[in-house]
Amino acid sequence: MRPFSLIRPTTLAAARARALAEPQARPFRAGGIDLLGLMKEGLRAPAELIELHALSATEGAEMRALAATEGGLRVGALVSLAALARAKGLPPSFEALREAASSAATPAIREAATVGGNLLQRPRCWYLRHPDLECLKSGGASCLAEGGENRLHAILGGGPCYIVHPSTLAAPLVALAATVTILGGGGRRTLPLEELFAPPRERIDAEHRLAAGELLLALELPAPAPGLRSVYEVAKEKLSHDWPLAEVALSVVVEGQTIRGARVVLGHVAPIPWRALAVEQALVGQVASAELFARVAPLASVGARPLAQNGYKVALTQGLVRAALHRACDVPIPE
Amino acid sequence: MSQEEDSLTKNVRLRLGFADQLREVTVTTPKDEPRPWDADSALTVVGQPTPRVEGSLKASGAAVYTHDVRLPGMLYAAILRSPHACATLEHLDVAAALAQPGVVAAVPLAKVGDRLRFAGHDVAALAARSRDEARAALSAIAVRYRPEPFVVDTLEAMQPGAPQVHAAAVSERRTEGDEPGEASGGAARGNVRLGPSQSKGDHKKGLRQAKVTHSATYTTQVHTHSALETHSLVVRWEDPRRMTVWCSTQGIFSVRDEMAEIFGLKPADVRVITEHLGGGFGAKFGASAPGSRLGYAAGELARRAGAPVSLCLDRREEQLCTGNRPDSIQQVTLGAGADGALTAIHVVAHGSGGIATGAGVGRSAFGVYSRCPNIKVESHDVFTNAGPSTAFRAPGHPQGAFAIELAIDELAQKMGRDPLALRLAHVEHAVRRYQLELGRERFQWAARRAEAEARRARGARIRHGVGVACSIWGDYGRAKAAVVTVSVGRDGAIFVRNGAQDLGTGIRTVLGQVVAEVLGRPLAEVTVLIGDSELGPSVGSGGSQTTSSVAPAARNAAEMVRAQLAELAARLLDRPISELSWGTDGSARAGRRSLPFRELCQKIEGEAVVASATRPKTYGAHPMRYPGGDNYQIAGVQFAAVELDTWTGELRAAEILAIHECGRTHNPLTARSQVQGGVLLGVSYALMEARVIDRRFGQVLNPNLESYKIAGARDLPAIDVVFCEVHTGANSTGAVGIGEPATIPTAASIACAALHAIGRPVRSLPITPDRVLAALAGQDGA
Repeated sequence: MRPFSLIRPTTLAAARARALAEPQARPFRAGGIDLLGLMKEGLRAPAELIELHALSATEGAEMRALAATEGGLRVGALVSLAALARAKGLPPSFEALREAASSAATPAIREAATVGGNLLQRPRCWYLRHPDLECLKSGGASCLAEGGENRLHAILGGGPCYIVHPSTLAAPLVALAATVTILGGGGRRTLPLEELFAPPRERIDAEHRLAAGELLLALELPAPAPGLRSVYEVAKEKLSHDWPLAEVALSVVVEGQTIRGARVVLGHVAPIPWRALAVEQALVGQVASAELFARVAPLASVGARPLAQNGYKVALTQGLVRAALHRACDVPIPE
Repeated sequence: MSQEEDSLTKNVRLRLGFADQLREVTVTTPKDEPRPWDADSALTVVGQPTPRVEGSLKASGAAVYTHDVRLPGMLYAAILRSPHACATLEHLDVAAALAQPGVVAAVPLAKVGDRLRFAGHDVAALAARSRDEARAALSAIAVRYRPEPFVVDTLEAMQPGAPQVHAAAVSERRTEGDEPGEASGGAARGNVRLGPSQSKGDHKKGLRQAKVTHSATYTTQVHTHSALETHSLVVRWEDPRRMTVWCSTQGIFSVRDEMAEIFGLKPADVRVITEHLGGGFGAKFGASAPGSRLGYAAGELARRAGAPVSLCLDRREEQLCTGNRPDSIQQVTLGAGADGALTAIHVVAHGSGGIATGAGVGRSAFGVYSRCPNIKVESHDVFTNAGPSTAFRAPGHPQGAFAIELAIDELAQKMGRDPLALRLAHVEHAVRRYQLELGRERFQWAARRAEAEARRARGARIRHGVGVACSIWGDYGRAKAAVVTVSVGRDGAIFVRNGAQDLGTGIRTVLGQVVAEVLGRPLAEVTVLIGDSELGPSVGSGGSQTTSSVAPAARNAAEMVRAQLAELAARLLDRPISELSWGTDGSARAGRRSLPFRELCQKIEGEAVVASATRPKTYGAHPMRYPGGDNYQIAGVQFAAVELDTWTGELRAAEILAIHECGRTHNPLTARSQVQGGVLLGVSYALMEARVIDRRFGQVLNPNLESYKIAGARDLPAIDVVFCEVHTGANSTGAVGIGEPATIPTAASIACAALHAIGRPVRSLPITPDRVLAALAGQDGA
């Protein structure tokens, strides 16, 4: 790892100005979990890290907020996963977010890792992370996973690169219709979180749509509709510190027994958090039942084009969606 | 027996065996050997659960490992490694690196023209004032490679026309981690080197007689040792002919000998210290790693720099070039008669230890179901351009056990027989039969099998499965290898000295217990000094032989000290020594008179009473021998219960019942810890660990502990450890090994339980959700 300087600006303007002067060489640092990994692996060699934890109380207030807002929730980008997981008074409707925040990585990492960092971390693809190989994302001519060791790669939305998006918070946040506030050259802008993520066809050097020097400030979760419930389900090869093979976060609005709305988001199966729109459409207006879930779960993989080694993710994702629906709609799951 | 032999030996009647199967057995020992402990020996310290004496040092961080050694003026080394799966070195010049900040010395580790046969091969090393400076300076070394064709996939390497990994025959140094008696070396055909086979009867005839046969291919993955402490050593030259080496090793004397050989020194002029060791698992014999000349690099850099040098590998290097358990492709064919009796077992195994040999599959298929009259097991090495394998906890056995045990279950399924009953019908070893029967009751085999089958029959989402598998290992306790010195000072202080290292098994504690037992003193009064070659010859910790080699030697030395003290006491009490007895509190007694231990010690003439002793070769192998030798056969069985989510393919090990024996259990606490560690390793091997290598680039894709997955706390099953103590009569304390047997049957028992839960076999390790889902979808073997 190359030596670097740690810059500690106290205002947002100073932090952004410093970064904008040389965006590649001066990344922001929050939890530092992914950034330090990239530096140790030689994938980044920044000269300066701009420490966001140094922002003054006023300047950093929005980024540090974790507060209820008229039935909804505001989550600053600097809030740690652990703080989110143990936050008191989180509306029960946001259960998927709490479950995801307490499932990622390890207890120690969750204490340092931030919400912003979790959404903006780089993919774990072992070709991208290999010091002696060049893939599409690291300057090479082709995706090395496509014809290689792709057990952990994308079945949906892949090409020309087949990474899976590494964020565990992304799926529940999208399922809960979060919006994200960004500070950029033109000031602040707010957009649906779903629109933050860029598939490889659109952008190969990053997985988001932030411009150089733009800063992710906070997320906002709108007040849940009455009867909204959310859950998060994940499958991992190991329970202690592992990345998901696949995950699903979904929210449903149930009136009586009838499903009035649904957002179903898949993680670790596509280069971006993936809306399973066919499942959502098939659920709305239907009465929740085990039979319904068995029938709609296969729609989760509509459009899937598995690679040689990751076909199992089709069945796995369907199974997770089915289990999540049972839990969200309180329909007893088979023994 | 000749007159001379007769005068050197004696016959002793001992009560040997286990549980209710104890009998009088005559054992021949050397004349001066103490009466071996047997079923009638009432011991008070040995056999008591005793916390390891260095436990608080390790838990508090005060224990000094090789990574922690800091010497004045010490430099830090780093190694440049080839990025190519195969390349010829065309140019190498380390001079430019010497101009880099902090760099003091640099040495080439390869010559121009050398073929570097795997990605990670040594190229050059340098030493600098800090670790960061050393790593940064590597890029200044001028190097040019000419890439060559390579092959990293075992099956591809077996094909005619595959790139040839080795141009000439390969000869390798055996380590103390290799199973003794495993022959190596055979004819080579392409990248395939034919290995030795184990054979009895006529397997072809047996298969012709069979009414039912089962034949399938079983594969296992490359498994890396992944010790928490990476390979490391610190070298300090004391003068041009003498050096001190701190080394993370499981074989202090193999480090000494290798360093002496490399630098042309007398072994006595190389001192090796391993105060504490952060794991070895078979990969840490000698000063070098199997795929990296660490001993030469550190020693030569230290010599050139005129300063001590610390060489500690990083995790990536550790995963690439310090050894692994080879993969395997095993074709298993079984035959059985109409009565269900096995008529033949035939295994043809190929496996790759990368550029090294050692891919044999052990003796599970040959030695466990020995009532089968016709058995043939053939093991062949396949060379690939990947990091070399080396001994790994029970070399060959976990992969061999996985294939034969799952095949046995598949045959039982075909015949509609209970797999445990089928095993009992073919296991000869009385201890193993006893263990299987014990486990059947304790694990509620019949009830749980029935419950799991009912779940499967009604199509439950969550399924259960129950399986069982056996281990086989030999007692390799070595004669005359370890010399233990026991001393009792005038102040009553008791010291035990030996150059053994503690692999993590708790040998410090056991040595203290044995000496405390013999002298009748509290364990707290015994100081055990180990981990330094100056403390007297000892064994490497491989082959599960440390306790059985060192503990009997400690007993014998303590008995000699006690005899000297008894002589002194007899003199002081003015009684003939024949009347003297030794109290359990260490006091000497004769008639109504007694002399407390401390008072007696005060009368020692001179500083201390000192004796050194070793142990003779094994006295015998009661009740059963290990195939191919005269040593005792160690039996073990494990039962596994798994839980399967059929919607996601996630399969977890819920419970393991591990029934093992290590002869006389010297310390049930540390022995239990060893078994738990073996089970943990086996669970991890069964369900998640796998080195992933890209066959197009010859690169390992997961040389880290993130995507090379090792079971963590939440992945562990409930582990129930049961010791079935056996009075072996093999040596003076009755110790035999446990470290390796404890990991042999775990993966096999989980694979059998997985078959039970799914209804179809997963014939490849690790049993990950992709394979489970494929098996659930109806693909046999997955």
